[in-house]
Amino acid sequence: MSLYPQYARPRKLEQATALLGALGTGTMVIAGGQELMPSMNYGKLALEVIVDITGLAELRHISQDDGRLSIGALTTHREIQDSEIANQVAPLLAFSVSQVGGGWQVHNRGTIGGNIVSMHPLYDIVPSLLALDAEVEVCDESGARTTKLADLIQDTKHGLGVTSILSRVLIDPMPSGCGWAYEKLKTTHGAYGSANAAAIVRVAADGRLESVSMVLGAAADRPVVMTGALGDLLGRLADEVMAAELEARCAAAVAQPLSDHQGPAEYRRAMAGMMARRAFLKAVERAANARS
Amino acid sequence: MPDNTKDQYVGQALRSRDGAAFVSGRATYTADFNFPGQLHAHIVRSPYARAKIRSVDLSAANKVYGVARVMDGQEAAEYLDPIPHYLDPSVVGGKYTDVHCLAIDAVRHFGQPVAVVVAADKRTARYAAGRVRVDYEPMEAVITAADAVADDAPKVVDAWDDNSVLQLPFANGDVDAAFEQAAHVTRLNVNIHRHSTQPIETRVYNALWNPQEGCIVLHATAQNPHPLRYVLSKALRMPENQVRLVTPAVGGAFGLKMHGHPEEALVCLLAKLLDRPVKWVEDREECLLVGAREQNHEIELALAEDGRILALRDHFLANTGAPTACPGWGMAFLTGLTMPGPYDVENIDVLMNAVVTNKPPWNASRGYGKEATAIALELSLDKAARELNLDPAEIRYRNFIAKDDFPKQSPTGLVLDSGDYAQNVAKALDLLDYEEERQRQAEARGQGVYRGIGIAYELTPEGGAIPGTMVAGYDSSTVKVDPSGYVTVMTGVTSPGTGNHTGIGQIVADVLGVSFDSVRVVQGDTQACPYGFGNYSGRSTIVGGGSAALAAADVKEKIVRVAGALMEVPEDSITIEDGVIGSKANADVSLTFEEVCYAAYTRAYDVAQCIDPPLEATRTFKPGLISHVPDEQGRINPYPSYSNAAYATVCEIDIETGQVELKKFAVVHDCGKVINPILVEGQACGAIAFGVGGMLTEQIHHDENGRQLTNNFMDYVMPRALDIPEIAVGHHDSPNPVTFMGLKGAGEAGVGGSAAAVVNAVNDALAPLGVEITDLPVSPPNIWKAIQEAQQRRRKSKDKAA
Repeated sequence: MSLYPQYARPRKLEQATALLGALGTGTMVIAGGQELMPSMNYGKLALEVIVDITGLAELRHISQDDGRLSIGALTTHREIQDSEIANQVAPLLAFSVSQVGGGWQVHNRGTIGGNIVSMHPLYDIVPSLLALDAEVEVCDESGARTTKLADLIQDTKHGLGVTSILSRVLIDPMPSGCGWAYEKLKTTHGAYGSANAAAIVRVAADGRLESVSMVLGAAADRPVVMTGALGDLLGRLADEVMAAELEARCAAAVAQPLSDHQGPAEYRRAMAGMMARRAFLKAVERAANARS
Repeated sequence: MPDNTKDQYVGQALRSRDGAAFVSGRATYTADFNFPGQLHAHIVRSPYARAKIRSVDLSAANKVYGVARVMDGQEAAEYLDPIPHYLDPSVVGGKYTDVHCLAIDAVRHFGQPVAVVVAADKRTARYAAGRVRVDYEPMEAVITAADAVADDAPKVVDAWDDNSVLQLPFANGDVDAAFEQAAHVTRLNVNIHRHSTQPIETRVYNALWNPQEGCIVLHATAQNPHPLRYVLSKALRMPENQVRLVTPAVGGAFGLKMHGHPEEALVCLLAKLLDRPVKWVEDREECLLVGAREQNHEIELALAEDGRILALRDHFLANTGAPTACPGWGMAFLTGLTMPGPYDVENIDVLMNAVVTNKPPWNASRGYGKEATAIALELSLDKAARELNLDPAEIRYRNFIAKDDFPKQSPTGLVLDSGDYAQNVAKALDLLDYEEERQRQAEARGQGVYRGIGIAYELTPEGGAIPGTMVAGYDSSTVKVDPSGYVTVMTGVTSPGTGNHTGIGQIVADVLGVSFDSVRVVQGDTQACPYGFGNYSGRSTIVGGGSAALAAADVKEKIVRVAGALMEVPEDSITIEDGVIGSKANADVSLTFEEVCYAAYTRAYDVAQCIDPPLEATRTFKPGLISHVPDEQGRINPYPSYSNAAYATVCEIDIETGQVELKKFAVVHDCGKVINPILVEGQACGAIAFGVGGMLTEQIHHDENGRQLTNNFMDYVMPRALDIPEIAVGHHDSPNPVTFMGLKGAGEAGVGGSAAAVVNAVNDALAPLGVEITDLPVSPPNIWKAIQEAQQRRRKSKDKAA
């Protein structure tokens, strides 16, 4: 136990993973510091070693491999919002990143990797990544592996352990003709979100629903993925009637809503449904526009 | 001699003197002072709302490398006497209890200091604090005001016979008869939630021990340096003249930095015992412990057919938290005393019951209880207007004290100085385009958009004086003019960032006829300034400016005498303008201000024989109207000044989510003569942000055991710039006849009026849905819930009808 942790700043990913493998518990990776620094300053977190990965230039990129979007874990919120590729290939992600709270400072320093591994239920990015069925690349001493983000966050702790680094996020382009939307409710401008919803839909020329992805955030201790549960809506008219049904089903699916300063449980559940409805209708409208 | 270019500074919109340093990060706050060998303190706090302390084991903490001293309540009491109360309740007939810096045998609230650790650095102190082992025996806690007054309630203070600090009736006239005659009675409960004021700079105490003189020097975030010096001298058992208070730049205070806090004396003691500088910086979690405002009102208005209020009945409970030496509990007293606000109501039955509970204690919070008066009254008037189908502006016009009725004695004994309340409302409605807004509202309703207009009035007694306490109505200033003609004002009032030193400088520059830039104002150092009472109750420009003006006039008299002798002209012909001294008797002679000042110091045996050097004077300004001699009903008037203002706002509500968007805001206020519109409008807009935030989002939550759940700015959300619409500000200057230049307070007013306007706008917007919220805050979740409940009620009544 040390009151003043040691600090390492490796320049290569292999060095970083080797260091983490050698150190074990008591070590934490820091990138933008948006999550860790307040905890350390408040004395809530006492570490032996901080491994600062901001020197790993290879983890800071936005590029396209075979059409697939690759975003390095160190890429900041600002870089993603401003990225032409990200806005083209995954506009849902670029928009939801722009909705991250905390203002310019957070946008300029906070990273997508840090946002994911913090596993904060009220954060903005993960619901959209889940709606996009994103994969993540995780590195440790033995090398890199790719896994679905949904698998990594099976419970309220990320599955990285103390020896791995999230290195990049991989996203398949949204198929053409899809519409998307991200809706977030805040009780006031300075507040955390009380509920959010990320939606991607495709609608046939006759107005029937062809596909839907829907993820609810900020209402429960981790995102609620509705995509599978809405499968029976496919083939029906994507209209207000469907939106109302979807709202009720999404609200009901939030089995154990959070109850905190962002609102009591009953409100959170209802707002998850409301955000789902609004996101759905906006996505349907965008899908129709995309087709015409 | 500096350049003198302006004729008149009073009334001009000069920028605050130190504003540039504040906004560019160059102001020096208390925490910015670091002294060689400085140690850091960390407080061990109770995790329980109410518990016995069986034992405190300091041994593990003492073993931590870098720890200089660990102390529990037993040991601290060997060195420290109980903290003298800022406002001892027993002075006004309430109950006193000792408040110690560290808990001794029991804790009375979550977060109460139990032990202190001093170490070489902050982290070590915090770490060692985690190794202090306290054996508690938790007990059933009293959390709500209703709990506190229950028959079988545990007693927060063992020695008291109940949980009331002070129970006080404010009664006048024949209320029962008025209710019998009433054409209509409006009844409602207004529940104000616990919220407070959160300065961005938390509290900091930074103490030095001077062994050579046996003195303590405390750099502190304190609003009232001299009174705190008195308190420290008592708690520390030291002579008052061996304690010096220095208050550097303050990053907001709002009452929270009025004293009585346990850390004040504790940090001084540790510096003295350790013979080393000791610093304590409060963290946000600690700062959020301080509460305020939580009150439950049961109100009845007896109304005539035309909407005139025949009588007011208001029985209210204030949950003031655990006993404290801070002056927070007194807010409840002021809530009662300020009834019935700006309204001409003779018959009142107001019963205040300020109770103690096991929540953390209150401290003063901008508005000092007068905000609760405004909230309770203004929500009541709107409800009455709805029930009588009157326009909310109209019901106010019918009940305001008429402008010709001043000075007006209120039924609680206040003597209101001046005002034109109806005119202020009319002006505010003009700024809002009221008639147009009503049309817009009707159109919006047709389209399913819920738009509402809220009006409210606030009367704010300011500049208060309570006999037998350090809440003094007067204050003092010293004005010194150097041989080179530069002016220094040392005043007993302080500026918590409000800029009153700029206003005081403007006043003094005008009195002396010199440039504003040549006047320096020094505040907040007990070794430099005359004995004064600091900043509270919107008093600083009234009494700081008033006393500085009187002292400046005395010095000017000396300068005029010397000038007359030098220029060989009659004194009454002397003029001083722009730093040039001339004579109406002889246009050919003139001297600079500096030349005369230099002569005043250097020619004491010839031309300056006529004066006593130096060019210095100390004067006190005691505003009139304050009366501490009880009238035949035992009432006193503690206030010289009654600023007042009309607030009006327009909101739109998303009824699916409960979100409120404020579209417009207007305020017209009367603070008497405006010395500096930038400073006054800044205060007015700041108060509105307080009111808006307090009603929409700010709330301090505790669980059922009294553990505080709100402990950071993510949970306690204050409004951001985007939450506040553009504010149209109008002034209505009805000069105060009893203060210097007609000033009224300007710093404290506005929290309650703006809060009530927001709530009234929300209820106006939701009226078509049958929603009326008087359980505050009107936060989106609460609004949503009220809408749901109203819809359920409607469904049920439909079912019944079917």
